[in-house]
Amino acid sequence: MRWRAFPVVAAWFIVAGTWTQAQAPAPKNPLEGDQAAIRSGMGLFRARCADCHGMDAHGVRGPDITQVWASGRTDEGLFTTIKNGIAGTEMPAQPRLFDHETWQILAYLRTLAASNRPEPPRGDAENGKKIYQANCVSCHRVNGAGGQLGPDLSRIGAARSREVLELRIRGGVEGFLPGYEPVTLTPATGTAVVGVKKNEDLFSVQIMDTRERIQGYDKSSLKELQNNPRSAMPAFGSNRIGEKELDDLIRYLQTLRGFDPSVIQ
Amino acid sequence: MTRLALPLVLLGTALLSAQQATPPALVTTQEIAEGLPQDGSRWVTFGGSYTNQRHSPLTQITPANVKGLVSQWTFQSGTLGNFETTPLLRDNILYVTGPQNVAWALDARTGRQIWRYRRELPSDLTACCGLVNRGFAMLGDKLFMVTLDAHLLALDMRTGNIVWDATLEQYKNGYAATIAPIVVKDKVIVGAAGGEFGIRGFIDAYEANTGKRAWRFYTIPAPGEPGNDTWAGDSWKTGGAGVWVTGAYDPELNLLYYGTGNPGPDYHSESRLGDNLYAASLVALDADSGTLRWHYQFTPHDVHDWDATEVPILADITISGQPRKVLMFANRNGFYYTLDRTNGRVILAKPFVQTTWAKEIGRDGRPMLEAGHTPDETGEITCPDITGGTNFWPTTFDPSTRTFFVNAREACMTFYSWKPDYKAGERFTGGAGQRYTSTTMPVYGALRAIDPATGERKWEFKYLRPSTAGLLTTASGLIFSGDNDGNLLALDSRNGTLLWRYQMGANLHGTSAITYMIDGRQHVLVPAGTTLTAWALPR
Repeated sequence: MRWRAFPVVAAWFIVAGTWTQAQAPAPKNPLEGDQAAIRSGMGLFRARCADCHGMDAHGVRGPDITQVWASGRTDEGLFTTIKNGIAGTEMPAQPRLFDHETWQILAYLRTLAASNRPEPPRGDAENGKKIYQANCVSCHRVNGAGGQLGPDLSRIGAARSREVLELRIRGGVEGFLPGYEPVTLTPATGTAVVGVKKNEDLFSVQIMDTRERIQGYDKSSLKELQNNPRSAMPAFGSNRIGEKELDDLIRYLQTLRGFDPSVIQ
Repeated sequence: MTRLALPLVLLGTALLSAQQATPPALVTTQEIAEGLPQDGSRWVTFGGSYTNQRHSPLTQITPANVKGLVSQWTFQSGTLGNFETTPLLRDNILYVTGPQNVAWALDARTGRQIWRYRRELPSDLTACCGLVNRGFAMLGDKLFMVTLDAHLLALDMRTGNIVWDATLEQYKNGYAATIAPIVVKDKVIVGAAGGEFGIRGFIDAYEANTGKRAWRFYTIPAPGEPGNDTWAGDSWKTGGAGVWVTGAYDPELNLLYYGTGNPGPDYHSESRLGDNLYAASLVALDADSGTLRWHYQFTPHDVHDWDATEVPILADITISGQPRKVLMFANRNGFYYTLDRTNGRVILAKPFVQTTWAKEIGRDGRPMLEAGHTPDETGEITCPDITGGTNFWPTTFDPSTRTFFVNAREACMTFYSWKPDYKAGERFTGGAGQRYTSTTMPVYGALRAIDPATGERKWEFKYLRPSTAGLLTTASGLIFSGDNDGNLLALDSRNGTLLWRYQMGANLHGTSAITYMIDGRQHVLVPAGTTLTAWALPR
């Protein structure tokens, strides 16, 4: 075959208009329980989905999707989500995925799906909001309010599993999203600038500094460009946020469902 | 009408008649065979010449003055999708193919459109990886272009009107075509893609005048033919081995050289046990009959989707004191090869990127395989990745310094496979890959200069991310490339020093700059994204 920008599907978007199949999906997965389909679905899932959702589908950068049926989603709705993606999130459309391949993925996911309803939520969202305001808001935004150095958290509770959120807050996960990689720039003269990297090529780097100013630099004008190995997000151990407070904070984040203009502060 | 006016009218009519009686200068096989002329007046075949060297004799733009390049014009395609084409130039007119089988004739002085052709395409195409096209071929007063629904068209150079339309194969069965044809004598040489759709690949020749098929070479032998026994059972029927990148031609040996695509299903070993000839191979065919003269399989029983659809380059060079007719090839599997193009024997083969599946090529020409690189349901990590050490973007060769140039990729992947079911017209890959990164296997790209007599690297220029740009070299010592951040780059081809850059706003993905003379000024034409931009030194 010809080359593939794999698994980046940006180029595929361009041709999506000629590929998208307009037919409505079947309400029920026609391949559910089909062993061959499950096997194919496993490969497709691992190749196209596992990077974000994890090899076990319990969520890494993307949400835990072993709970989706238990939380009330339907085959038809999940089919549409896989095919069309979720606008405004990292979940991409898959216009080149054939219908039967989409059903194969769902057939495989069914084998991983939790049979019981998920653990009931715990914690006090009201108190969680206060904890959020005290510890997180200087770098993160919810519903248009807050800092910009870190990612917007308006739907993080809906998009990530509790375990992943806990690990991230406690400092148990390394790595960072594109656009939030911490850097330190040392100009030829003057003091070092700390920020997060928004873009970079061979000749230039674009950052947001800790005062939230976005700026571009010519690399030839810098004495040093240091990519910091650790996230700018501090680890909040139990000495800073206790176990109950962590429950409250996560409960607050789980109440959020994306940017809500009615609560702009 | 006055007495004076009548003779003037008659004279005018006579002049017009004389003009109309003069046929347009026809593109000849002779000029195609001559390649790039010293005066820079033509670029009439995909690789500049049958050798695919993409090395221009022009010297007006030099390492010393390249910083002074100024854009002359930009053409916007107005079409969804990106250019992957090599434009052709003749008589100061550019002939350009674009995505979705749109094509144009443009005034090379101004970039202004003269005509535009657009094919109505069916909505259920099976082209696997982008609705692209890699360029025209030309002969006489005709242009030749393949289509995504697997046809070959001849267009009238003056109008863009169709002269004839030949069907290569039925697109509904998984066939597509994106290759730039070449013209050899009176025939148009093409191939078809579809290695992910269970096709049986081929290389075809069509009569340039009529569109009648002259011969076909199947890249997978039928039962009873040599090589069919390298496919277990009936797997040969859906074995892929598409041909979607242009080959080379040696007029003296009268041989065509084409790289062939991956065997299908791409990743599932047990579905097609055996070497799988002539997939992932270089085939040398008699140009008059399509008869196979020799073959060399780079990757026997490929299970990583490493099509050998890179552009072969021909040259006559001296190796160990002996003049050799060679074919140079940087392969998706991560090895660089110098082959003897008279017989297909390996003169040398060395990795030009990190390769974990094989460290060297044995004396018998077969790779010496490392264990643990057959994909399965649990995944195995292999370098290079699916896209490969390089891919279809054109390489170049500078004969004056005996240097081969390639945009190389350093990347690894976790490969998975499972048994697929074949259904006509549907994807048939049996697996997939997931990008793999670690501190010991970082992902990056590099422009690498290789000595084809030794396989040694002369220099490299590193990119932050792998580049998919094709290359162009000039006799003045320049190499034009691009990174994957939209920068057009000009480097000193002798040492890799960066001399000039410009942010094009889009990558030169899979396409190369070309160069030619217009009104005494050397131009460099750069396809990037949806634009063509012409560059020259100030007047």
